[in-house]
Amino acid sequence: MTESNPPLPRAKFQCRGVNVHYATTHAIKDNDIDIYDKSVTSFIGPSGCGKSTFLRCLNRMNDTIEICRVTGDIRLDDVDIYGSDIDPVQLRARVGMVFQKPNPFPKSIFDNVAYGPRIHGLAENRADLDAMVESSLRSAGLWDEVKDRLSSSGTGLSGGQQQRLCIARAIATQPEVLLMDEPCSALDPIATEIVEELISSLGETYCVVIVTHSMQQANRISERTAFFHLGELVEYETTHNIFNTPKDDRTIGYVSGRFG
Amino acid sequence: MLSWVALIVVLMIAGSFFASQQRARGVAQGDLAALHSRPAYHGAYTALWVAIAGFGVLVLGLLLSNIAIRSALFAAIPDSLGPLSQIERDLIVSDGVAIASGEVASRSDAAREAVGARYGTLMMVRNVGLALLTLGAAAFAYMRSSAQISLPFRARNRTEKIVQVLLMVSAAIAILTTIGIVASLLGQTLAFFSDIPITKFLFGTLWSPLSGVHSGSMDPDKVGAIPLFAGTLLITFIAMLVAVPVGLFAAIFLSDFASQRARSIIKPMLEILAGIPTVVYGFFAAITVAPFLRDTGAAVGLTISSESALAAGIVMGIMIIPFISSLSDDVINAVPQSLRDGSYGLGATKAETIRKVILPAALPGIVSAVLLGVSRAIGETMIVVMAAGQGANLTANPFEAVTTVTVQIVALITGDTEAATAAGPAFTLGFTLFCVTLIFNVIALRLVRKYQESYD
Ligand SMILES: Nc1ncnc2c1ncn2[C@@H]1O[C@H](COP(=O)(O)OP(=O)(O)O)[C@@H](O)[C@H]1O
Ligand SMILES: [Mg+2]
Repeated sequence: MTESNPPLPRAKFQCRGVNVHYATTHAIKDNDIDIYDKSVTSFIGPSGCGKSTFLRCLNRMNDTIEICRVTGDIRLDDVDIYGSDIDPVQLRARVGMVFQKPNPFPKSIFDNVAYGPRIHGLAENRADLDAMVESSLRSAGLWDEVKDRLSSSGTGLSGGQQQRLCIARAIATQPEVLLMDEPCSALDPIATEIVEELISSLGETYCVVIVTHSMQQANRISERTAFFHLGELVEYETTHNIFNTPKDDRTIGYVSGRFG
Repeated sequence: MLSWVALIVVLMIAGSFFASQQRARGVAQGDLAALHSRPAYHGAYTALWVAIAGFGVLVLGLLLSNIAIRSALFAAIPDSLGPLSQIERDLIVSDGVAIASGEVASRSDAAREAVGARYGTLMMVRNVGLALLTLGAAAFAYMRSSAQISLPFRARNRTEKIVQVLLMVSAAIAILTTIGIVASLLGQTLAFFSDIPITKFLFGTLWSPLSGVHSGSMDPDKVGAIPLFAGTLLITFIAMLVAVPVGLFAAIFLSDFASQRARSIIKPMLEILAGIPTVVYGFFAAITVAPFLRDTGAAVGLTISSESALAAGIVMGIMIIPFISSLSDDVINAVPQSLRDGSYGLGATKAETIRKVILPAALPGIVSAVLLGVSRAIGETMIVVMAAGQGANLTANPFEAVTTVTVQIVALITGDTEAATAAGPAFTLGFTLFCVTLIFNVIALRLVRKYQESYD
């Protein structure tokens, strides 16, 4: 580690020897990685290299795919999340997820954000719930745009607003970790900029892991970057080092735009 | 004889196709690119005209000549027989035709012989004339269209135009048939309502339209259709009570719980259930379910008659299950996976996801599946004919026999009352049924379309 590294907070996730198979496809090959709290970590790499697959290991979303098999050791705060005493449903309340395509429920804006608090019984009463919805929407930078139409449908918002609604929805569950799978790839440049700023600020309070196909985006918003290639974690470094002094030939090739 | 003519026309069609194709090749003199249209299109163009001319003349000729011959036969009935009723005249003509074709006539006399002889000559003239006309038309069509073959002739465009017109004619036939049926229903219904006040029909509670028709006209106080509507509603309600929960739960299981393997077995099985003829359900209801219900009822001290709304309703519900489950399965599957992922990603369980995200999102589609199921239940006939009973009881008790709109239509039409008398109430009931199911179907289709729009 060089001097320019930020001081290491504790590792939120410790992953050792992680392998993922889809039926006959070996999608993740024996990866080790530590992901740190209160920072943004980017996964980059050519498409199909397993970024999404690895991300979905972290909240056990892969459990919902029938043919997917995950092996290895993934610890969240030193607890094996694939342990027999872990309920994946409870895990996902702690490890929230935002998807590539904005996927608001066909419900009102309020009900979208209140979805998590309601199913987890987080709010004592209506006033509590109102406060949670407001603070989540504020954190997602959406409050001022929607405060007058909380009862209109979430699907009626613009793409960028929908994605921020999905982020607000994830925050409302009061997670510790936010996983984001290419959250800006369906957005226009202006909406992307807004969401990127939001992600950067979320990195101050949460452990944020973001998959992105845009190297500039990784560069702009993340402290650390992991480069995946064909299911292998090739290089994992501070973002500054990955883009300025990459060590592996494959990383050099990718960040200089020679393949991918 | 005319079937031979038809066969010759078919041969001419094939022959003209190849001849024109060949001719187009000849015109091209080896340079096929010089032709605007490929030789096969020249062949098809000619063949289409031959077919249209040949079969057009044949079919039209048959239709018109049959009408003409029939009126000529009526004219051939000797006036000496005096004024005859239409039925007697019909009988004489059909006997005459039977005599001429060497079949058994009900009676043979001079008048019938005369009609028969007239029929023989007319048919002879008709057949020869029509054969010549048909073949002539086909040959003429061949000569005209094959003479057009040349390098710049746009045979492809013209062939496509002809095919387009033929397609339009087919569509028109379907539409005109529908319009015709609806119009005749409507006409009969209006005629019926000119005798019977519509309010008596819609709000009367006594249904026995044919009692007393022998003495003269229909008694407006005995054509109250309320008992039929009530019976139909009762049975439909019972059927939906069975079909909606079972069908919906089956759909949820299929789309969100069943493994690929289980799904690939269960789905075809449900489709088989949908393919069972309703007459089979009908006797299943009458022979198995109804006696079972009656005996079970007797055992616990309930009187359930051996034809009951309950038996018919339950079996009808079973019949509708695959209908609801397969439609609901489609709409539940159409709810994007991303919504499921979104819900799971927030830590929702499968049950919460289904209850709070999937079912609300699929609701319009499910409602429309239920409405289509209702309209099937209302129009279903065999099961109720066999298992619901005939008596027009006005009751809400599912253990008693009731009757439905469809059952009464069957009873009216298959009964031994003269068709003309029974047709009035039967057509009116049919028209009512048509209106109700049409409304349900339109609402259902609208809901489905709206639903599909919301998920591209
Ligand atoms: N649901 C799935 N079923 C089967 N194979 C999958 C599935 N999801 C991903 N894969 C395979 O796993 C590999 C990694 O995919 P993914 O994680 O989506 O890559 P990335 O997100 O980096 O583009 C690919 O080879 C892909 O074909
Ligand atoms: Mg991906």
